[in-house]
Amino acid sequence: MTLFAVLCALTFPGIHVGRIWVAYWLAPVPNQMGVWPNFRSPLLWDVFAVSIYGTVSLLFWYVGLIPDLATQRDRSTTKIKQWIYGAFALCWRGSQRHWQHYEVAYLVLAGLSPPLVLSVHSIVSMAFAVSQLPGWHTTIFPPYFVAGAIFSGFAMVITLMVICRKAFGLEQVITMRHLDYMAKVILATGMMVGYAYSLEFFIAWYSGNPAEVYVFVNRATGDYAWAYWTMISCNVLVPQLFWFKKLRESLVALFVISIFVNIGMWFERFVIIVTSLHHDFLPSSWDYFRPTIWDVACLVGSFGLFLTLFCLFVRFVPMVATAEVKTVLPQADPHHGSAAGPGAPPPVPALPAGERFGLLAEFTTPAVLYRACESVRDAGYSRWDAHTPFPVHGLDRAMGLRRSKLPWVVFVLAMGGAAGGFALQSWVHSVAYPSVLSGKPFFAWPAYIPVTFELGVLGGALGAVFGILAFNKLPRHHHPLFASTSFERASDDRFFISIESRDPRFDASATPELLRQAGASRLEWLTA
Amino acid sequence: MTHETAHAGELRIPSTHAWSRLPALGAGLAAVGGLLLLAFGRSSERLMAAWLVAFLFFLTIALGCLFFVLIHTAMAGSWGIVVRRVAENAAATVPLFALLFIPVALNLHALYHWSDPEAVAHDALLRWKEPYLNESFFLARAAFYFVVWSGIALWARGLSRRQDLAADPVANGRLRRYSAALLVPLSLTVTFAAFDWIMSLAPHWYSTIFGVYAFAGGFVAGIALLTIVAVGLRGAGLLPSITTEHLHDLGKLLFAFTVFWAYIAFSQFFLIWYGNIPEETVFFLARLQGGFKLVTIALAVGHFGVPFFFLMPRAIKRNPATLVAAALWLLAMHYVDVYWLVIPSIHGLGARPGLVDVAALATVGGVFLAGFGWLLVKSPLVPAYDPRLSESLAFENV
Repeated sequence: MTLFAVLCALTFPGIHVGRIWVAYWLAPVPNQMGVWPNFRSPLLWDVFAVSIYGTVSLLFWYVGLIPDLATQRDRSTTKIKQWIYGAFALCWRGSQRHWQHYEVAYLVLAGLSPPLVLSVHSIVSMAFAVSQLPGWHTTIFPPYFVAGAIFSGFAMVITLMVICRKAFGLEQVITMRHLDYMAKVILATGMMVGYAYSLEFFIAWYSGNPAEVYVFVNRATGDYAWAYWTMISCNVLVPQLFWFKKLRESLVALFVISIFVNIGMWFERFVIIVTSLHHDFLPSSWDYFRPTIWDVACLVGSFGLFLTLFCLFVRFVPMVATAEVKTVLPQADPHHGSAAGPGAPPPVPALPAGERFGLLAEFTTPAVLYRACESVRDAGYSRWDAHTPFPVHGLDRAMGLRRSKLPWVVFVLAMGGAAGGFALQSWVHSVAYPSVLSGKPFFAWPAYIPVTFELGVLGGALGAVFGILAFNKLPRHHHPLFASTSFERASDDRFFISIESRDPRFDASATPELLRQAGASRLEWLTA
Repeated sequence: MTHETAHAGELRIPSTHAWSRLPALGAGLAAVGGLLLLAFGRSSERLMAAWLVAFLFFLTIALGCLFFVLIHTAMAGSWGIVVRRVAENAAATVPLFALLFIPVALNLHALYHWSDPEAVAHDALLRWKEPYLNESFFLARAAFYFVVWSGIALWARGLSRRQDLAADPVANGRLRRYSAALLVPLSLTVTFAAFDWIMSLAPHWYSTIFGVYAFAGGFVAGIALLTIVAVGLRGAGLLPSITTEHLHDLGKLLFAFTVFWAYIAFSQFFLIWYGNIPEETVFFLARLQGGFKLVTIALAVGHFGVPFFFLMPRAIKRNPATLVAAALWLLAMHYVDVYWLVIPSIHGLGARPGLVDVAALATVGGVFLAGFGWLLVKSPLVPAYDPRLSESLAFENV
């Protein structure tokens, strides 16, 4: 949803830059004209913020999808589907060693995302707030815009979720409790937006600045009062309905209120932009703005683009993070339920001819797997792994794995990105292309902070993603484990241990015996 | 796990324990501080400025703890239940601050330019603001803020105590439902108190984010106090139910809100710097000249730079010694922040702190400690009958 929204948003700068075919001029790269972009301008911060936001969201989304794409690959019915899903799944095989790095990277990406959200919408707000226009130049804009973004974002999620869970039978997964929490977030952020409205109004009066006072009186009583009061009703009054539990539990109320919130937020942007511009410092430009049919068409078109992309998404890609949901089910807890294996230990299959890769053992529950891993670890094996459809809590310890070094990679790349960004900007404006613009000094360090921060986040995110790939040695085109037909269930509902025959402690009779005693329900030899 | 079923009276500070001397210590500190103030307070302006800084420093901590109680309860959090009682007690000292405000109320002329009729007569802007910035409305608002804050703090603490005495689960539902609603009057009163008591020191200046800034600083300092007291009580064997997981979470909150504070502080600075409008830039110009420049740099580096990198590693947050060090540092930085907000706005005061500031800190701090200590000793340290207590005790971080 966030990706599609970014794409829709990007169509508009795509239009208003005029010559989209030279949009690459915005990038800070050496060029034949000998010019560099102006990092002191919020328009450029926007370029960095939105593109980095799109990139990191894409990476976060994709990384989250990898285990589910593996499930799709293993359950595909046609060769083409298997091939395509397999390619995107990067040879993911649920290895616990991989899950370990994955979990850390996912946590890092999840940790980087809120600062990213905050910074991106703060930067968008700064495009207005750094001006000198009354109604725009006010210090509360950054947190106010962020609260507004979360407000409308959650409303959009509710709108889509109410429909999707019904249409796809996901009521047990996306429960009323989730919708209840989302409604509360809408209430809270709506109040923050309302707080900002009241403060803007009070401080405008308090400032005693006639232009400032005028803007706010004009908003409430002037030509655009209809837009202003629509905004207030939809953003401040309507969400108050969510104080009532009955309404938070009613699907109709949730749907209707969330739509009103989005209408209100559209009007908020309209009010901010139009009321401050239609009557600014230059009397010759005072006028009443009327949107043309083309403006309306673009807006409607963007809704169409968004919905098209969303429908394509639900058609082809797992809508729910299946692996993640499995992780939080009670059955996923290795300390829940019996750790006893099957009644009778399975027979040991005959040794195959040819080069052996190793032994694969299948288990039915995480609890049995956990105990088995401890046994294998204690027996001193090193070239072995556990394969699970989701990361089993605590299995790292059961396998004796050391903590992942991924956070260090992320930290170094994040600091590098930030330092590099700051250095680039300083060099551009102090050395390469010093330009006198809007009274800003050459070394305008405060103005460098937005891009520095964004590049830091980008560095961290790239560190997380390329870290996973590097530490896990992915993608691979093939792995001997996939030769086993039963291994398909490793991405579904079965748990496996594989021990390679290259392991120094590997023994053709002792190793299968260990796994039999540990509670395996099936044993299989794998050839290389 | 026997804590949740233990008699609520078991988790109290025994009267023989060192911690039970906290109220007496506070009272003593206040007395010494008070005497020093009377002896050294020469310039009324300097004395009142020092008092205001100390007053705001401790008040924002108490209010930060109140925010913590309300937010944690409204979000139906469970991890923080073991430390909630400490926060409730810190918040419940707010009525004392009404008394500590009296010196400010009696000395408005020394601090607030707009209270001087001479100045108002010659200043069009002050005349414009006169309906808001006049002595009677100002004092009426101050009284209102204290009524609201005391009401909320005592209500929250009272309901929480009712839970102990009557093992009353209804109290819990009420706490949760109303905590969310009460955040509204709390946010608005804190915002306007910041406008009244701090922003109006420079009555020509204004900033819409100022209330959020005051909240951010106070919240960090409140969590810092909570951390220090929690670790202290745990170390003294009085609150064994606080595990490493809880410390980790307090550390994460400290980290997150330090970053939040920096975000708000930078937003305010950056937008005013970029717009470069003289009626707004005066605020920062005053803080970038002379001795105050060092204070500004110290604030940026010390309130953000150092804690950001220090609190990042997991190990630091899980170690009580390093966590307390970070919390103490952040408390000190909060003082620098309040000092930086107040002193430069009062004309003619130099940047260098003096004995009068120490004395003011001792007096106000002593009263705060005395009240906080007394409340801490008086009631059980853990809300033993909170239905989510066992969740809190069993909490585990990733």
